[in-house]
Amino acid sequence: MMWLIAGAMVWALGWFVNVRLAALPKSRATSLLVPVIFGLTLVFIWESVVRGLEIQQVLLPAPSVIAARFMASTSILWQDWVQTVVKGMMSGYIIGCIAAFGMALAVDRFPFLQRGLLPVGNFAAALPVIGMAPILVMWFGFDWQSKAAVVVVMIFFPILVNTVQGLQASDTMQRDLMRTYAAGYWKTLFKLRLPAAMPFIFNGLKIATTLALIGAIVAEFFGSPIRGMGFRISTSVGQLALDLVWAEIVVAAITGSAFYGGMALLERKWTFWHPSQRN
Amino acid sequence: MNVFYKCVGAAALGAMSTAAQAGDDLTLQLKWVTQAQFGGYYVALDKGFYEEEGLNVTIKPGGPDIAPTQVLAGGGADVTVEWMPAALAAREKGLPMVNIAQPFKSSGMMLTCRKDAGISSTDDFAGKTLGVWFFGNEFPFLSWMNKLGLATDGSDGGVTVLKQGFNVDPLLQKQAACVSTMTYNEYWQVIDAGLTPDDLMVFKYEDQGVATLEDGLYVLEETLADPAMEDKLVRFVRASMKGWKYAEMNPDEAADIVLENDASGAQTEEHQQRMMREISKLTSGSNGALGEADYERTVQSLLSGGSDPVITMAPKGAWTHAITDKALN
Repeated sequence: MMWLIAGAMVWALGWFVNVRLAALPKSRATSLLVPVIFGLTLVFIWESVVRGLEIQQVLLPAPSVIAARFMASTSILWQDWVQTVVKGMMSGYIIGCIAAFGMALAVDRFPFLQRGLLPVGNFAAALPVIGMAPILVMWFGFDWQSKAAVVVVMIFFPILVNTVQGLQASDTMQRDLMRTYAAGYWKTLFKLRLPAAMPFIFNGLKIATTLALIGAIVAEFFGSPIRGMGFRISTSVGQLALDLVWAEIVVAAITGSAFYGGMALLERKWTFWHPSQRN
Repeated sequence: MNVFYKCVGAAALGAMSTAAQAGDDLTLQLKWVTQAQFGGYYVALDKGFYEEEGLNVTIKPGGPDIAPTQVLAGGGADVTVEWMPAALAAREKGLPMVNIAQPFKSSGMMLTCRKDAGISSTDDFAGKTLGVWFFGNEFPFLSWMNKLGLATDGSDGGVTVLKQGFNVDPLLQKQAACVSTMTYNEYWQVIDAGLTPDDLMVFKYEDQGVATLEDGLYVLEETLADPAMEDKLVRFVRASMKGWKYAEMNPDEAADIVLENDASGAQTEEHQQRMMREISKLTSGSNGALGEADYERTVQSLLSGGSDPVITMAPKGAWTHAITDKALN
């Protein structure tokens, strides 16, 4: 009972503080504090509800239990992170980006590819990853190669479509100007069309970051050496070690946010000229 | 207005008719999908053994990603079929599961290996890739590897463990030297896929001395404390064991009953008839009561896990004869 009352009080307090902070003029401090306070309030409410209502730990562990497990299992979490993120996701992401980018350039150069390939790509994009993953595990084996393959399949189409659209973003007037400068296809591509396509390409890359992490984790449900975040999550559920599952989820959330954030920072740096980057 | 009163009247009649349906409700959670492994329960359902005892039983099939222990914890079922290692591990994690009956006397788990991967005895395991399912089924395997002195974390001189999906592809595709199979299911999938018994080297857990008790009926402690539930469980166990003995005597009819209850349509008659016969080998020798010696053997096997035992201390109160004493007398 005490826990529930404490939870309700913290909720009210957090709400009050956030409302006052949000009313102040927008500054770096407030835009950082408000989400942090909100997040901490949510975590405290979670803790108080689990303890107050005495929910079984095998159904929903309390955040304090998860934090303790996190601290105790850093070696397991680290090796899982390396297996899933570094070997599976990053290699798949890089291969997928290069493949999609290359295909987009080919589609741009040869219009007949655009008419034939994009509709097929549309169809391939609709294939569910839950169906593709076991097949790819069978083809590429159990180790990180099949996980990278799943990531490639998942991110290929978003990056392709966004890059193709980006390459068409430059004005006719601008392309005409390059023509008057006697710039050939490749010079126009590198000096005009690719820089103009950057906002679109980054859009695709950002979408791909979240898809890549999902693909890498889900692909591990279907067969893996006994390492990896997806493996740990699925087998820990079977062993009722829910606190380890949540610790892995925390790692996944941090990784996904960091990856997306990193991509957004790169975008800020390289497309500073675009109206969307103005404050 | 007229239509409204007609609807209310029809609903009242409907409610009365459901109340008139005999039987106390009970939900059983299976460990896996509908198959002859659970033939006894389906036979008891279809042949009316549960109805005779005044029970209205709902059987929930399991499947990949359904952990029976979690369903029990969440209140999705009153009683579940589970293997003893997983149940004891769950008990140590804080879920108070209790064994009330043990229809399966022997273990059907085995490791099926390819001879052409160079396996002719357990001495050849070191350095090879062995598959196991996890999801509660890895405990007997890990105990066995500990007994053989083989590390499972990928270090030199140990074995590489593979989390296999619920098929035998790793063996067929030569991605693993051995895969875990049940005598009644995956082993026959390997045979059906084209490999002959001569190509394979099988290691039965019973022969290796690392067998643990498999399909048993488990409930939560609080269920046993309720006298009304206890009475329902007594009737349930009695009818279920009647179903199991009937299935042992009539395997083809039992296989047909299982197929009729299979909502997925994925099972075949030949496979289920074969499975029913293999399962009968495992259930014969048990009248449903848990053998204390078998229980002790399982506990010792799980405790002897070396640096990574499945359970760290002998469980207390993990089983009871209270239900089977009343049911079988």
